Amino acid sequence: MQSTRVAILGVDVGGTFTDAVLLDGGRVRTAKVPTAPRQEESVLAAARAVGAENVVRFAHGTTIATNALLERRGARTAFVANDGFEHLLHLRRQTRAHLYRLCDEHPPPLVPLERCHGVRGRLGPDGELEPLDLSTLPDIGDADAVAVCLLFSFRDASHERAVVAELRRRHPGVHVVASHEVAPEFREYERASTTAADAYLAPVAARYLRALADAAREAGLPEPLVMLSSGGVASVDEAAAHPATILVSGPAGGVVGAGLVARRAGFEHAIAFDMGGTSTDVCLLPGGRASRVAGRAVGGLPIRLPTVDLHTVGAGGGSLVTRDAGGAIRVGPESAGAHPGPACYGAGGGATVTDANLLLGRLPAELPGGLVLDRAAAERALCDIDPEAVIEVVNAEMLRALRVVSVERGHDPRDFALVAFGGAGPLHACALAEELDIEAVLVPEAAGVLSALGLVAGDERRDRVVSYVRPLAEVGELSADGEADLRYHGQSFELTVPLQRDLAAAFHRAHEERYGHAEPEREIELVAVRTADVTPGPDISLQVTDCYKVEGPALLELAGATCWVPDGWHGETNDDGTLVLRR
Amino acid sequence: MNVELQVIGSSLRAVAEEMGAVLIRSAFSANIKERRDCSTAIFDESGRMIAQAEHIPVHLGAMPDAVAAAMALGLSKGQVCILNDPYTGGTHLPDVTLVSRTSLGYAVSRAHHADVGGMEPASLPAFSRELYQEGLIIPPTLLTEEVEQLFVANARNPDERRGDLRAQISAHRLAERRIDELCARRGRERIAAAMDELYAYSERMVRAAIARLPDGTWSAEDVVEAVEGELTIRATIQIAGDEIYIDFAGTDAQDSYNLNCPMSVTRSACYFVVRCLTEPDLPASGGAFAPVTVTAPEGCLVHALSPAAVVAGNTETSSRIVDVLFRAIGDRAQGQGTMNNVALGNDHFTYYETIGGGQGACADADGPSGVHVAMSNTLITPVEALELSYPMRVERWHLRTGSGGAGRHRGGDGVVRELRVLEDCRLSVLAERRAHGPGGENGGEDGAPGRTLVNGEEQPAKVTKQLRAGDVVRIETPGGGGFG
Repeated sequence: MQSTRVAILGVDVGGTFTDAVLLDGGRVRTAKVPTAPRQEESVLAAARAVGAENVVRFAHGTTIATNALLERRGARTAFVANDGFEHLLHLRRQTRAHLYRLCDEHPPPLVPLERCHGVRGRLGPDGELEPLDLSTLPDIGDADAVAVCLLFSFRDASHERAVVAELRRRHPGVHVVASHEVAPEFREYERASTTAADAYLAPVAARYLRALADAAREAGLPEPLVMLSSGGVASVDEAAAHPATILVSGPAGGVVGAGLVARRAGFEHAIAFDMGGTSTDVCLLPGGRASRVAGRAVGGLPIRLPTVDLHTVGAGGGSLVTRDAGGAIRVGPESAGAHPGPACYGAGGGATVTDANLLLGRLPAELPGGLVLDRAAAERALCDIDPEAVIEVVNAEMLRALRVVSVERGHDPRDFALVAFGGAGPLHACALAEELDIEAVLVPEAAGVLSALGLVAGDERRDRVVSYVRPLAEVGELSADGEADLRYHGQSFELTVPLQRDLAAAFHRAHEERYGHAEPEREIELVAVRTADVTPGPDISLQVTDCYKVEGPALLELAGATCWVPDGWHGETNDDGTLVLRR
Repeated sequence: MNVELQVIGSSLRAVAEEMGAVLIRSAFSANIKERRDCSTAIFDESGRMIAQAEHIPVHLGAMPDAVAAAMALGLSKGQVCILNDPYTGGTHLPDVTLVSRTSLGYAVSRAHHADVGGMEPASLPAFSRELYQEGLIIPPTLLTEEVEQLFVANARNPDERRGDLRAQISAHRLAERRIDELCARRGRERIAAAMDELYAYSERMVRAAIARLPDGTWSAEDVVEAVEGELTIRATIQIAGDEIYIDFAGTDAQDSYNLNCPMSVTRSACYFVVRCLTEPDLPASGGAFAPVTVTAPEGCLVHALSPAAVVAGNTETSSRIVDVLFRAIGDRAQGQGTMNNVALGNDHFTYYETIGGGQGACADADGPSGVHVAMSNTLITPVEALELSYPMRVERWHLRTGSGGAGRHRGGDGVVRELRVLEDCRLSVLAERRAHGPGGENGGEDGAPGRTLVNGEEQPAKVTKQLRAGDVVRIETPGGGGFG
């Protein structure tokens, strides 16, 4: 393959750094550049730094949508619902934000009350109850984007289509999205929230992605494929049209990369453990591929779209350590950030998990890049708090997250390898593995840029969902590949079962396994069928820079991460350069 | 608090949360699966609450009485006790509680079933005068197949009841497995010791928080809107060092209808207020309530005696107890002060929902709009879920703009919800704050009172009546009071 000299480029933009991985004739090169305010510039800078030439495929992970949502930098958005239901986004599901702090507010909806409108006309579960009256559709003012969510559009999209057509006719320059185009599933609030986010983000995401595509063309790169929250990819146009699908773009790349590393190391099942400075993402990879969920909350807003099943904990290496009135050590959710950073950075920061790791001898005296760590400052900041206890507390948080994605979903963690990455992942992984009886910890050579590696090696996957909500017995032939969301008639939550010949029997079995009982006499309802078109990612070979063996206790400095190998652990690198640690 | 303790504490909370998830995900009635009107908890060997999933405040504070009642049966491992009797560990009859013995203590689940028999569909009659009219009374009883049949046979929607009860049992089977795993992994003795320490830790935290509050004694009163006239609740709250004493001397005698609270519900409301005033973020255990003493004269509205009817006490009077205590403290305005219970049903279906309203403003913030404000925190049933499963249509569902009381900080707005029934059926509405709006505080204005209308005609706070297909029930929920 060396002769063809075609290359694959992956670029992942994070908050602090932009990472690039280039797969060039079988060789992997990596680069890291600081993230600039204009993300497209950092993407191109990273591509240059990694020496991208003859690139045939360019995959991209971005935080543009997530940041725009969290920082509320989206478009002026209007919302159109049925008359009498205008306030859907503000009513939510009527629960309060905190059970005992009564005046706490939820994050405000993306559309203010004065931009929420109603239109007369109504569909019910069995068809039209009142014809659509477009003359009642109000003026949307100076909005730049409009989200339309009408009741029962997941069954019959005709009213939504007509409203969207009318809005586009009246306001040709305005971005209009209908809920059935984004998340055609029942439960109007969750669908409306997803649609509002999609409309709100579209102008920002489109501007960025088009600028990136232009810049790529000028640099001689192909048009980027954008990583979706589901772990699949989409074209620039598709992602720009529905940016709610890229809200978990970056972490999804890491999960794909972790699966790849595990499969190549011969482990069928893996758990991705990505511990960064302020937060940690964990994700189960049964069969080496991420399990997906039908939705998740981003910035407190429900987003009902397929997403890799990440569980996020608001604690990482930079999390601040405090002691509460009852004497308990607390870690996070506040973080020291990059500035001032942990106390040991010597810039006046507070006590953090990193300081505890330093005092325990799990960090080098000097960081790559030349920052000399200040032990005395770390000691002063931690004061009378035992650094061992800090690590145990933060590990307890991590353990809880690992249990949520494994044990609580019916998987025994002992069957899984733990893939540790992110700046702090390899520092904590072995201790966590011991607690969960996990036998192997994998530390990829590219631990610092694993998301970008996932972009290079990931499948090209396009998800589709078709909503049914009717008895399984009445549904005809279904496609052979994919998954079905099923439940007993009368339940509201589905179990996802792979499509197969005797779907009913498979569902009874799944219910028995999950809930301890099956009810074969009850009617089964098919809620949705999820299928995906998948083009497998490229075969890659990772060439190793140097092979080594290690015996704990030992401290290893990796590119962009530090690895702590405790007493009783030993390991060696495999053909990919992945360090395989065992007890 | 040492680290192993924190780890065990999180593990026990995770068990309670996973119990709740299993119950909600495998349940059949909208009230459990969509509205999550259920709670779960883990108790120790001596019947003290150690960890809970934070769901419905009125359930949680009253659970210790249920465990005490179940313990008297001498359960062995794996056995499950069922109960709903408000005078032996229950709250009101639709709240069906299971208590099971694990290898170390007890697992508890409490779920509001959409019908447990009695004089009206959905078991929320407006005009019950004794407990016997409100449904099947289950004293603490070993749950066997025969008892399940007896329970199901007494409900109007037996198939749904069986499904919900089995979902509850699934949650208990899971808890037993998880507690076994924990004991195997860390040792039973250590878990038991950790349970003691978790209880003591909560108690320490709450005592420290109470000690930071100014000492003193304050009183306040307010009324509930009974079928016949109004009844006064009077409360005195005393903060002394690291303890709180709450007494209800001066409260009217028990209601001849169903606004009565058994003592367990009254304690629950008091514990809720203490949580709000002290350590709202603390993972709760029973220790948090050890510094709180609640007393009330026997036979009064908030210490009702069997067989007084209680169905509205649990939702409405409990809300007013919270209002009275906050008014005594004076640090916030009153919220909607009702759960706006709406129950509908006939031979084919039973449906129950509660509707949010305006939160009272706090000294430093506006009150949120369209939320449950005190002893409940249930979700609303999605319009699409409701219309797919029940002979009903939602005609309107929006904020009741302007209903919150004005002030330096505004009270939250209530909501408007309009339901059209598509079959003949019975309607019961148990609501409050129809005559008097929620009070403002510190000069803030009152919130607007709520309204209940059937085909445009205004109804009293408590109503049960026959509806014809096509009739429209409109609920306008109260706004919260303003502050300052």
